[in-house]
Amino acid sequence: MSTELIAFAARLRDLIHAHRFFRAGEVLDGQFDSLALELFTLQFHNNSVYGKICTARGLTPKTVRHWTDIPAVPTAAFKELELTSIPAGERTAVFHSSGTTGQKNSRHFHHTDSLALYETSLLKWYEPHFGFAGSLLALTPPPAQVPHSSLVHMFDCIRQQYPPGLAQFYGRLGADAAWELDLTRLLPALTAASQSLQPVTLLGTAFSFVHLLDELAAQNLRFQLPPGSRVMETGGYKNRSRTLPKTELHALIADRLGLPLTAIACEYGMSELSSQAYDSALSSGRSATAAAVQRHFQFSPWSRVQILSPETGREVAEGETGLIRIFDLANVFSVAAIQTEDLGIRRGEGFDLLGRAAAAEPRGCSLNVGEVKP
Amino acid sequence: MDLPNFFLADLPPEASLTPQLITEACQALKQNRERFLLSRSTADMVKVVCEVGAGWLQPDNRFRRLALEFGPAETGFSAPVLARGLDDFFRQFTPENFNALLEQEFGHVHRLDQFVDPTGAETAPRTALAIGPAFLVHIAAGNLPNPTFMSITLGLLMRSAQLVKCASGAAFLPRLFAHSLYEVDRKLGACLEIAEWRGGNHFLEQALYAETHCVTATGNDETLAAVRAQLPNGVRFIGYGQRVSFGLVTREVLRDESIASVVSRAADDVIAWDQNGCLSPHVIYVEERGLVESDKFAELLSVELARREAEAPRGRLTPAEAAAIATRRALLESTADPRADVKIWQSPGSTAWTVVFEHDVRFQFSCLNRYIFVKPIPDLEVVLQQGLDAVQGKISTVGIAAWPDKTRELARILARHGVTRICPLGRMQNPPLTWRHDGRPALADLVTWTDFETDITPEATSTPTGT
Repeated sequence: MSTELIAFAARLRDLIHAHRFFRAGEVLDGQFDSLALELFTLQFHNNSVYGKICTARGLTPKTVRHWTDIPAVPTAAFKELELTSIPAGERTAVFHSSGTTGQKNSRHFHHTDSLALYETSLLKWYEPHFGFAGSLLALTPPPAQVPHSSLVHMFDCIRQQYPPGLAQFYGRLGADAAWELDLTRLLPALTAASQSLQPVTLLGTAFSFVHLLDELAAQNLRFQLPPGSRVMETGGYKNRSRTLPKTELHALIADRLGLPLTAIACEYGMSELSSQAYDSALSSGRSATAAAVQRHFQFSPWSRVQILSPETGREVAEGETGLIRIFDLANVFSVAAIQTEDLGIRRGEGFDLLGRAAAAEPRGCSLNVGEVKP
Repeated sequence: MDLPNFFLADLPPEASLTPQLITEACQALKQNRERFLLSRSTADMVKVVCEVGAGWLQPDNRFRRLALEFGPAETGFSAPVLARGLDDFFRQFTPENFNALLEQEFGHVHRLDQFVDPTGAETAPRTALAIGPAFLVHIAAGNLPNPTFMSITLGLLMRSAQLVKCASGAAFLPRLFAHSLYEVDRKLGACLEIAEWRGGNHFLEQALYAETHCVTATGNDETLAAVRAQLPNGVRFIGYGQRVSFGLVTREVLRDESIASVVSRAADDVIAWDQNGCLSPHVIYVEERGLVESDKFAELLSVELARREAEAPRGRLTPAEAAAIATRRALLESTADPRADVKIWQSPGSTAWTVVFEHDVRFQFSCLNRYIFVKPIPDLEVVLQQGLDAVQGKISTVGIAAWPDKTRELARILARHGVTRICPLGRMQNPPLTWRHDGRPALADLVTWTDFETDITPEATSTPTGT
């Protein structure tokens, strides 16, 4: 294991810790390119699989001049290859993508240093959006039940920022390993939260909110959560509940929990990354009165996003659709340049998420492919 | 585009369909059939559809011009690809071909008109008359127009009133075809309706299915299951589901004097309708140890696809379609193991065409739009034993490049494995009028027979005497 990578990770943690960030791209602007090139050189030499991919494409530290030229690895490659510089014996955790049944999962390997950086990264970009006030309800199973979920690891890191007892998990693994809600605990917790003066933050997946909303509707329950309460909704449905359009889901959440729409933010992340994007405006105070504003996803200041035309591979113009590529400096021990399979619309420094491209069905009556062989 | 409002699909997008509108349209179609269609002969119908087909082949034909002018934006196919696909299809509209179809389906061309036996004799001891459905509903898939044109044409031969429900956004070419029929024969056009809505609108669909006794549907398995589940008892259902096709090149033709022609025909099949359709190849299996090696074949195919891109460009893709290609290419570039001898040739700066050469005998689904796998094999037997598990029972067409004796032998083997059509490489997307879609009869599945047995004993034929 390269001491240089560990040193880089420590330096990056210091950089992230040292600043308060209010806008993506801030502070690291002047340094981003040199940090990215430095990290690329380290990954090229210390991550043999990645090094071979770069060499095959003719892109090496000698030829790459700007971070946008650094070869990206598709997320799907994490299913086939061990894209890590952490030797097998030193890996203490692995996060999997939540693929559909029968498909191979992506694997993102971690150890103490990589987890420390992941945790710093996620907390420092979470905090300005949600803060750590009041109490926290996480609607997923706890990490002990789903040790390979990077999302739940993230929720657990956030939970640990709260005093004991004020932040808990309210999900569990049900039959056939499906994630479900522990409603016998969750509903009283919501009741208590709504009677408190302190704000509450709910973290959950889209399908966990659908489960909750269905239950509240069935029981004809409605809460009025305290001012300043927030909701973070993330991820897709993965056939675990009926699917709702995002605006409808948010309207229902707002209605059943007594929150303004502006209190709800989406998270975009994946197991292959160590940074996340949020689509809320950074909290300047906890004003819940703003009218519905146009919101776009913004990654952390130590990441950059590009929206690339699938046709030409070049960056698309403002307002156009393309594949989302992320350069995440916090991915020190795997690969920083990640090519997703998600389509997004370029919006300034950020993007709007359209969803998974591979789900697109070929025209005509030919079979849809992806299901058979990744 | 300036077309009169003859059909529901001609209405402006903001006009909303209602169940009542559908019911009334169905009833009008059936009445029009009684008035205009029932008295017509099969020969008469053949004459009309041949006239329509001949029209589409004329460069200055109004509907052809509209198809080529607006088709690229409406359908996603370039004008040269559209022109080629339409020409290949309508060129087959000849009385000889239709008569061959009628003979194949019914034994004799007159059997849709009168009681005859298979020799055409009216006084035989046993004769039969085939009658088409009074009202035929087609649920059309995707935006390959030919299957829909063919469905309508078959319905006309049987003098059925017809409603074609197009997938949303896919009514453009069926509309033009319907207008071209209307122009040649207004009464006939009055027995046809083209409508377009997003599938799954139960109110409209229930109104539609309540009026019919026969439904054909083309689409994926979920679509077919959804249609079937909605049909009232007693409605005849003919579903054409998901199928895949592949090419097969044997080593005997992989030699210097024939390779150019084989490569050109392989390119024809990849380019036709931009590979979008059940009959287009996902994979071309190439036998090893030819005088031209299989990877050389792949390379030559890439050169040919690049050349053809200039004369018949691939249509514009949606971001999602292009992303499917870009994503697969990126994954291959990252994971292709040099030892496995995977090679990829691709259009630079675009997704226009991709050739992937890989030593894996398993059938591989392509993301289509001119993305073709070339797989070297020792022989067909290996493919049949190890390669087709994922598509068993789902194979439509195998396009073969081989010497005639070898082709006949391969055909026998493929037929036993459930392949429903074997044709020369280069003609995969161009089946004849007599094609048995998915191995099923084209017309015979749709009609209802009346058998007529006459008593020819002497007692029965003599004049009875009263007592």
